[in-house]
Amino acid sequence: MQLFIEQLLNGVAMGSIYALITLGLALVYGILRILHIAHAAIYTVGAYVGLFLFKLSGSLIIGVAGSMVFCALLGVGIERFVYYPLLKYPPYVPLIGSIAVMLAIEELCRLVAGPQILTFQAVLPFPQFQIGGITVSSTLTAVYCITALVLLLLWYITSKTELGLAMRAVSQDIPIADAMGINSHLIVSLTFAIGSAIAAVAGSLVGIYYNQVYPTMGTVPAYKTLALIVVGGLGSVPGAVVASLLLGVAETLLIGYANIPLPRDALAFIAMIAVLMWRSEGLLGSR
Amino acid sequence: MLLEVKNMHIAYGDIRAVSGIDFSIEQGELVSIIGANGAGKTSILNSIMGIVPLKNGKIVFENEDITSLAAHQRARAGIRMVPERARVFPRLTVYENLMTGVYGLRKTINLDVQIAWLYDLFPILRERNDQPAETLSGGEQQQLAIARALISNPSLLLVDEVSMGLMPKLVDQVFDVLKQLNDQRGLTILIVEQNAIASLEISHRAYVLETGAIVHQGMASALLEDPKIKEVYLGTGA
Repeated sequence: MQLFIEQLLNGVAMGSIYALITLGLALVYGILRILHIAHAAIYTVGAYVGLFLFKLSGSLIIGVAGSMVFCALLGVGIERFVYYPLLKYPPYVPLIGSIAVMLAIEELCRLVAGPQILTFQAVLPFPQFQIGGITVSSTLTAVYCITALVLLLLWYITSKTELGLAMRAVSQDIPIADAMGINSHLIVSLTFAIGSAIAAVAGSLVGIYYNQVYPTMGTVPAYKTLALIVVGGLGSVPGAVVASLLLGVAETLLIGYANIPLPRDALAFIAMIAVLMWRSEGLLGSR
Repeated sequence: MLLEVKNMHIAYGDIRAVSGIDFSIEQGELVSIIGANGAGKTSILNSIMGIVPLKNGKIVFENEDITSLAAHQRARAGIRMVPERARVFPRLTVYENLMTGVYGLRKTINLDVQIAWLYDLFPILRERNDQPAETLSGGEQQQLAIARALISNPSLLLVDEVSMGLMPKLVDQVFDVLKQLNDQRGLTILIVEQNAIASLEISHRAYVLETGAIVHQGMASALLEDPKIKEVYLGTGA
């Protein structure tokens, strides 16, 4: 029982991290209807910049905040210089562009930081808990708190602010949003900035969680988060969060605890295939 | 002159939609552009709004050349539109749809007064306040689209095929509202319509559009009596 609860806690943490990465993808799909594969590369850059700034300054807060700013700019840059010029073509064109950007950024990370695995030794400034013989490490506490904070902030922005109203309007009809006085291109850029900043948080957290930062750390998340937004319902942010949490728990419990002889990473894709066969609109998608 | 359009050309790739038309609207006028489906009417409105680019020509609004302004800047300048098929934001509530109409202007407008006025004009919207717009009927969506365009007190209202898909009774109601807005509030309105009779009946002047060119223009009352117009556009025969 104790092992089960510990695994469950780990699973929720895993799912939270998936959620942080998938959020950006769901936001971008929701607003531009493109599959932003390169988002996972932004997550990798987020880990590197976070680590670099942390080593330089000795402060984790500076590391993560700096990484968020850097990644927000990177995300906006990709939107302005890659996606925006390609939007007039069929959706597979920006998709190919996105894959190219993903590979380019991975290679750039390899060139700049080297192919080896770097360690990210940092203690997250969060308390450790001990409840009935079960230890909740400070890293787990950090993952829970940060994810909850990010989700709360995002919910607040999208549902309670004028910016959020504009984001939702733009995601439903860009020309008409423009005709309402909304600068939709600016809103699209802001959406990329928000999603990319969250990816930077995710990258730094994963780097610390596994104590590893390496150039291809975004490859598996790239495909897994793609499966997750399909499972959650394309463009549905709540759906992406639910699917991420479920996957984190399922991976940890079914494979880590119940010892089902499957590769851990296969689960997301099995879920995607199942969803595509029986509920193609996804868990929380419309239509 | 509130709006002046000079030598307007619009094309989609190689397909010419509008080729070199000129027209103008005075402050306080209600003007119609009538013509068959595919004559280029919607293209004209969309390019005044700025969501379809001009290939050539010039648009002057309140004595300022707005040809190079983006759509959102034109909206701020006081041009608002009721799009073809309403195009309300389907997954926003009625209230949120109205709020998109005052995006960035909430501080400069007395929202309570505007919303009370619009809900008196279209009482059904008050009942539907918290419903997603996609759950509204076609006529209700059309009313919401008009309210959304009016909430910011525009100086020019563009109305695109408002009669399309509406029951005849509703068409009359909507046109009555437009007439009232023009009469009582002095709102300048440009209507493009396939339903020539309904729009000519409330208009001061009208332009007749045929395959991207203006072929007739004049007072609406005169056009209604013109036998040639009657035969071709009003479908009543001579």
